[in-house]
Amino acid sequence: MNRTSFKFRLMSAAALFLVATFAFGQNLTLGSWRTDDVAKWTNILAAFNQDYPNIHIKFDPTIPTDYNATLRLQLDNGNGPDLFYARSFALGKELFKAGYELDLSNEPFITKGYSKSALAAFSSNGKVFALPAAAVSHGIYYNKDIFAKYGISIPKTWPELIRAAEKLKKAGITPFGNGLAGNWDILEVVLMSILPAEVGGAEGRMAYENGTRKLNDAQIVAAFKELQQLKPFLPRGFEAVSDNDAVSLFQIGRAAMVFWGSWDIPSFTDKIQGFQWSVFATPPPQGKANVIEFMPDFGLAINPKSPHVEAAKTFLTWLSGPAGGKAIGDNLVGFFPMSKAKVSLSNDVAKTFLSFNEGTTQDFRFTWDKLSDNKLPAYTLLLAECRAVLTGKHSPQQAADAFAQGMAAAGFAP
Amino acid sequence: MALKTLETERNVRWLFWIIPALLVYLAFMAWPLLDSLRLSFYTGSGFILTNFIGFDNYARLFGGGPESQRFLGAFSNTFIFFAIHMLVQNILGLAFALILSRKFLPGRGFFRTVIFIPATLAIVVTGFLWKLLLNPQWGPLNLWLTQLGLSDWALPWLGDPNIALIAVGLVSSWQWVGIPTMIFLAAIQGISEDYFEAAAIDGATPWQTFWRIKLPLLRPIMGVVAILTFTANFNAFDVVFAMTGPNGPPSYSTDILGTYFYRTGIAGQHPIGIPDMGLGATIATVTFVVLLIGVNLVQYISREPGEKNRG
Repeated sequence: MNRTSFKFRLMSAAALFLVATFAFGQNLTLGSWRTDDVAKWTNILAAFNQDYPNIHIKFDPTIPTDYNATLRLQLDNGNGPDLFYARSFALGKELFKAGYELDLSNEPFITKGYSKSALAAFSSNGKVFALPAAAVSHGIYYNKDIFAKYGISIPKTWPELIRAAEKLKKAGITPFGNGLAGNWDILEVVLMSILPAEVGGAEGRMAYENGTRKLNDAQIVAAFKELQQLKPFLPRGFEAVSDNDAVSLFQIGRAAMVFWGSWDIPSFTDKIQGFQWSVFATPPPQGKANVIEFMPDFGLAINPKSPHVEAAKTFLTWLSGPAGGKAIGDNLVGFFPMSKAKVSLSNDVAKTFLSFNEGTTQDFRFTWDKLSDNKLPAYTLLLAECRAVLTGKHSPQQAADAFAQGMAAAGFAP
Repeated sequence: MALKTLETERNVRWLFWIIPALLVYLAFMAWPLLDSLRLSFYTGSGFILTNFIGFDNYARLFGGGPESQRFLGAFSNTFIFFAIHMLVQNILGLAFALILSRKFLPGRGFFRTVIFIPATLAIVVTGFLWKLLLNPQWGPLNLWLTQLGLSDWALPWLGDPNIALIAVGLVSSWQWVGIPTMIFLAAIQGISEDYFEAAAIDGATPWQTFWRIKLPLLRPIMGVVAILTFTANFNAFDVVFAMTGPNGPPSYSTDILGTYFYRTGIAGQHPIGIPDMGLGATIATVTFVVLLIGVNLVQYISREPGEKNRG
């Protein structure tokens, strides 16, 4: 083959490709903060293209720490992606108010596909700014071999969990891997998986938000008491044990349990060798119904300035159905579709996590909604009190009081 | 006449050589600096701030509210961080320089290299390395202490609000001790031999030589080192970010101006993550003013006595 003809062929092939994409399809970009998920999204989009071969979506992630700023800059300059990952609550509302997220409130795929509670995280004054794409769950990962060796069965109530921890500690095993140095997990994964059952789920949370309950009432104190009970069972030097240390302690078999989230199922699967493991739901206090910490992780918003709004809606319609739900749940293992569509997942641990939701109610993280409105410091206060309780600086009652006082001082007056 | 044009040409020509550097300086140093001064009078979200609020941001930083509590905490932590470097890094640097400047020191080159190596490593690397060394579960430091029977001393170094900042400051001092060592060493080697000979003839002890000759002659260099330490530490961010993250844990004890600025102006406070660029610019401006005053102060103090009158 001589060179010219090769070049010619290459050029004509490229030209043909260009013509083809313009004539027979639309090209969209999907902005995201999940740089690790390129391969997984390739699979999801391939599944979408089996049903809709003419809409081509390119998954185009930015590194997580830069995402908010980069996206904002793109949107401010009018060159944002057609579709993009939307944050729940305050940050999502902020972009909606700035006019950068299409109002989806009346779209059939929203009204028919999702429950009110699923939409709450992605609504601003009753208007829906993003499709609730996926949620994460929380629970306790446990070492099945250690549990079997010491004859421990899965705890159904909080006192049973503490008894199991006592048994393990006597045997010289660190019961829980969790610590304080990550500076987020002790609150988001530990306290906030205890709180929902203690305060009575979404209804209870809303009672605090609208002021019918005091922020230092008996339930909040009780949740801090449960946290305090964990102290003797945390690893030595837990004050300086980070989030990475916590999961590592479990993964190498040195801690029998760790409070953690579903998003890390793949990394647990990769790293754990030589023992059997699974997860159970954070047990509720004696006599109370369990409420699972089930947290919307990301939504998908449409850029109103996109020339491909209809194509973007077609994609979201597909995602809200069973095929889209399965594609999300099976590819982004540890993230669960939030639509009403019945989905059966392939991964066993993911299935176990999702089974926590059967016969229970769910609620998202305690401080994410109104308790953080107008930059109220509920999150930082509770985080500081987790540390205070576990280092012995505050009693549970003092912690709850400090939380209530801090909120009042910041102007929380429901 | 012809001579005169040549002269003017010569007088103006230097300007052309400066212009490229001047443009780069204006575009990448002066303009951003002035613009962040301007931003400190604005508020809003997003990248284009249009809402002028006068000195409100400054009032928030100094007014006694939660922001000012964080700011003053970060400010005093930064000062402690700086003091640790002055006390540990610079005094050790001077000591190393004095030892390395001895004429008959076997393995001088080796020691010089060893002292300087940490300064060539990336901060993320040393930060992560020391985080592992200090880890309460698998860190060698606590393992050794436990093996020596000193398990009471095996503390959660980065998890105790009373210790964490000192620990991070010492790690940073360890990393950068090579820089003052090299500067002091060069200065000592620059001191004329005549002084030492004269002192030896007069029967001065090594201690006297140090206090009466080396130290006074090193004074301007100490000023330079102090300024470098001051600017580097009031702008510090990376080592703290690498070792304890942007939130200054535990209990804001490692929160310095750099991390507070990052949290406020760039990343936003977790979990909401909406940055307040106006307030961030205000923190940057205040830091700039502090540096400006501090550098001039150190420069004034470290001048040679006769120089002060000349302004």
